[in-house]
Amino acid sequence: MGGNFIFASILVPLVGTCFLPVIGKKNSKLRDVAALAFIATAFISSTLALPHLLSGSPVTLHYELPLGLSFGFYADALAVFMAMTASFVGTVIVFYSYGYMAEYENQNEYYAMICLFIGAMMGLVFSTNLIFIYAFWEISAICCWRLIGFYREEITILRANKAFIVTVAGALVMLVGFVGIYGQTGTFDLAAMKGTHIPPWIVVLILFGVLSKSATFPMHNWLPDAGVAPSPVTSLLHAAVLVKIGVYAYARLFVETFNIDKMFTVTVPVVAAVSALISAGAAMKANDIKRVIAYSTISQLAFILLGLSCGNKTGVTGGMLYILTHSVAKGGLFLCAGIVEHNVHTKDITKMGGLYKRMPLTALAFMLCAFSIMGIPPFGGFFAKYLVIDGIISSGNTILGAVFIAGAVMTVVYLTRLFVKVFLGQPTFPHVKEGDRRMVVSVMILAILSLLLGIFMPIPSGLASLVGGGL
Amino acid sequence: MRVIANIQMVANIAVLFFVIPLAIIAVNTLLPKKLAGRVSFYLGGFAGIMQAAAAAADFFLLSANRLHEYEFSLLWDLSIEGSERFSVDSLSLVMLFCIGMVTIVSVLVAKQTVHDRKRAYVNLLMTLILGMNGMVLVTDLFSLYVFLEVVGLSSFILIAMFKTDTGLEGAFKYLVMSVMATVFMLTGLAFIFMQTGSLQYKHVGMNVLRFQSHSQSVLIYAALILLISGFAIKTGAVPFHSWLPDAHQSANTAISILLSGIVIKVAGIYGFIVLVDLFNEVPAINMTVAVIGTVSIITGALLAMQQNHFKRIVAYSSVSQVGYILLGISTGSTLGLLGTVVHIFNHATFKSALFSNAAALHEQVGSLDINEMGGLEKRMPVTAFSSVTAFLSTTGIPPFAGFWSKLLIIMALWKSNMQVFAGIALVASIFTAAYFLRIQKKVFFGKLPDKYENLTEVKGTVKFAEIMLSVVTILTGVFFPLALLYLKGRGII
Repeated sequence: MGGNFIFASILVPLVGTCFLPVIGKKNSKLRDVAALAFIATAFISSTLALPHLLSGSPVTLHYELPLGLSFGFYADALAVFMAMTASFVGTVIVFYSYGYMAEYENQNEYYAMICLFIGAMMGLVFSTNLIFIYAFWEISAICCWRLIGFYREEITILRANKAFIVTVAGALVMLVGFVGIYGQTGTFDLAAMKGTHIPPWIVVLILFGVLSKSATFPMHNWLPDAGVAPSPVTSLLHAAVLVKIGVYAYARLFVETFNIDKMFTVTVPVVAAVSALISAGAAMKANDIKRVIAYSTISQLAFILLGLSCGNKTGVTGGMLYILTHSVAKGGLFLCAGIVEHNVHTKDITKMGGLYKRMPLTALAFMLCAFSIMGIPPFGGFFAKYLVIDGIISSGNTILGAVFIAGAVMTVVYLTRLFVKVFLGQPTFPHVKEGDRRMVVSVMILAILSLLLGIFMPIPSGLASLVGGGL
Repeated sequence: MRVIANIQMVANIAVLFFVIPLAIIAVNTLLPKKLAGRVSFYLGGFAGIMQAAAAAADFFLLSANRLHEYEFSLLWDLSIEGSERFSVDSLSLVMLFCIGMVTIVSVLVAKQTVHDRKRAYVNLLMTLILGMNGMVLVTDLFSLYVFLEVVGLSSFILIAMFKTDTGLEGAFKYLVMSVMATVFMLTGLAFIFMQTGSLQYKHVGMNVLRFQSHSQSVLIYAALILLISGFAIKTGAVPFHSWLPDAHQSANTAISILLSGIVIKVAGIYGFIVLVDLFNEVPAINMTVAVIGTVSIITGALLAMQQNHFKRIVAYSSVSQVGYILLGISTGSTLGLLGTVVHIFNHATFKSALFSNAAALHEQVGSLDINEMGGLEKRMPVTAFSSVTAFLSTTGIPPFAGFWSKLLIIMALWKSNMQVFAGIALVASIFTAAYFLRIQKKVFFGKLPDKYENLTEVKGTVKFAEIMLSVVTILTGVFFPLALLYLKGRGII
């Protein structure tokens, strides 16, 4: 019974993808509704796995295959948490796309790829086998390649190729690590390897994959460039799904499954710190609205990675919560940026100003989401950031804690700068209108949710604290 | 009783691999000229379908009887000393199936690209198949060589038969290289014969261990070097690859499909499989094959990045992919061989798909220079989709078929303590991604130039071939775990 929920949340979007272009040829309205329905199904069925989880008997499926392969799904706290986050934000983004994408060609491909993407994400988080994790990982890279190149301009295709090459190269190095694990243990099955100690060289190989997908220094620079994609795509890739795959893999492999050397609780946070500071600095200088938010993503991902890697329960809970609150708030920011650049036809913030009068709701949503990312109480982001920094300090690393507090301050600075430049000051586009109703509703949902997540923090944090029980 | 009847059935079906091509040649030659123009292609396609069906049927019969191989003859008595023996096993049946599949695709494409000399094309195709079938069915090195020559001769004529300048040049280059391969191989075989007194696989395998004295082992090593060089020339492995892009690019696309899709694998790779199997007591051979493979992977991919001709890129990609197959062979393990066989099948599929794309582009756009194209996915969605699936499969991106074979090869390398080769091979996939992304960007993915506004999708058999091969690539990739379960059930892995 319970297994059906997992199957539904993975297979409905994956199989649905095959039908979307066919439906779209006949009736584009029906295709849009179908895409939303498939992704919403993923969200609903992953939510339905929650009661099983809370009652202490997580849904699990397992089929043995030869050669140490196995085909299985396991709906533990980490998986359900990730699945719900990604599919919820995915649903909102699809609804937003109705307004944003209406005028473009290739919509069949667009909705098919979004749907495939969410399906791959569901498969990735529920899989219990390294090879299937890798398989879904690469499916997401294919979607990413098509989606970033959506506008078919010379520059967008170059950037799409860059994102594909960087993430696939990272993933291939990671696969070498997986095969290395196989050479050591004779299996790819995560459950069978729980608690195994793996040598540092394998951890480093896998980190290449994690860092490239989660756009962390030194493999981060594909992410700001990928901002040439349509804004809902940017939101999906940079906020909700793609970049979270890397940190999810870190949590799944190094927090939940393998036993790794103590030195990584220092080295990974140091890499994260470098990444956070460099990208925060870049965000302060950038003048492209989406680039600023993209650099901010790199910087915030470092917080998540820090929380997961600092080696104690507080940090892991904080990291998980930040995955959720960052997905919601950053998704909202990108979508707001989408409304702005869609209506004023430029991404250059030096040319903007005073837009809050023309777009009051967008400005409000932007502000609420920005507060969450900055970590202003009582927004969701505050609690997550607090726990992350608490985690690193209680692991005895006060200097890194200080560095990350500096990073958080920089976040406040560059997001305020962005808000002031875009929405305050002299009005520059007197005739511009508020965005399409569906787009505004989407960003408002995410903005209000950012606030609610903070007010009702005990609910998500109860789930997040189930992750990393072994620590 | 039933089991014995089934075994007889295995042999009866296996005889078809010789009977079908010969019968088609006879019918095709005797047909009146006018009729031949209309039905030749159907005869060729029929041969391909029959061959694939016979191979599949024989495969399941053989494994249902839990046999690894089965010896048979054509008309003579096997018990007579020195009579020619043929044998089918799982490996040869997969090869035979691939031959059938590529033949079908070649005929489908030829229907739109070959406009004259249709009868000659089909006859040569049949001799080519006959040669390849013979190669995988024989059980001694000399017969292997004889059938190899049949394959080589048919290929030269197929490349040159349309008498274009480039075709003649490509065929000449191939001919010169092949003559060298022939000389190498014959000399090598002579050395082995001096040592063992027989060229049957089973005798060679046992007797090679007996060489003791210094001069004798020098002889065997010399023979191995010559044989490896010969097969490497036929495969187009680096450093003997220079003929391959010229020959494959200049031939008619229907012929390129045959050459890249199957001929290099039967004529070259199969030879390597036999060699490694026979001489696995000689440790140096595994390392040699592995080094040739790794160098081919990297060199082929780097050269592919610089080309501007669609077919040339795909041809260099063959050089690179052959490297993976060689790496699989070099492990000498069952797992490695399994990976090799699956990669041979996958390579046959995606390389045929890519050459079908080339045929489609050549028919519709009229040129294969990738710099002149752009944004064609809008006008040619089927070709674009099939090229994307083929490219992702070549790169080894899941969920496409190529991923599984590459994974099996990498796992086998790791288990055989060749971790460095495994790492290089895996990371070198990024070069494959690079040259294919370049093709995609220049040809399909991008803005459509105004001059191609009125372009249409290719129709008929080429389109059918593209769709068929994409479906095979996707289904093989998605359902490959079931194949693993089947193999496990049969006790192969």
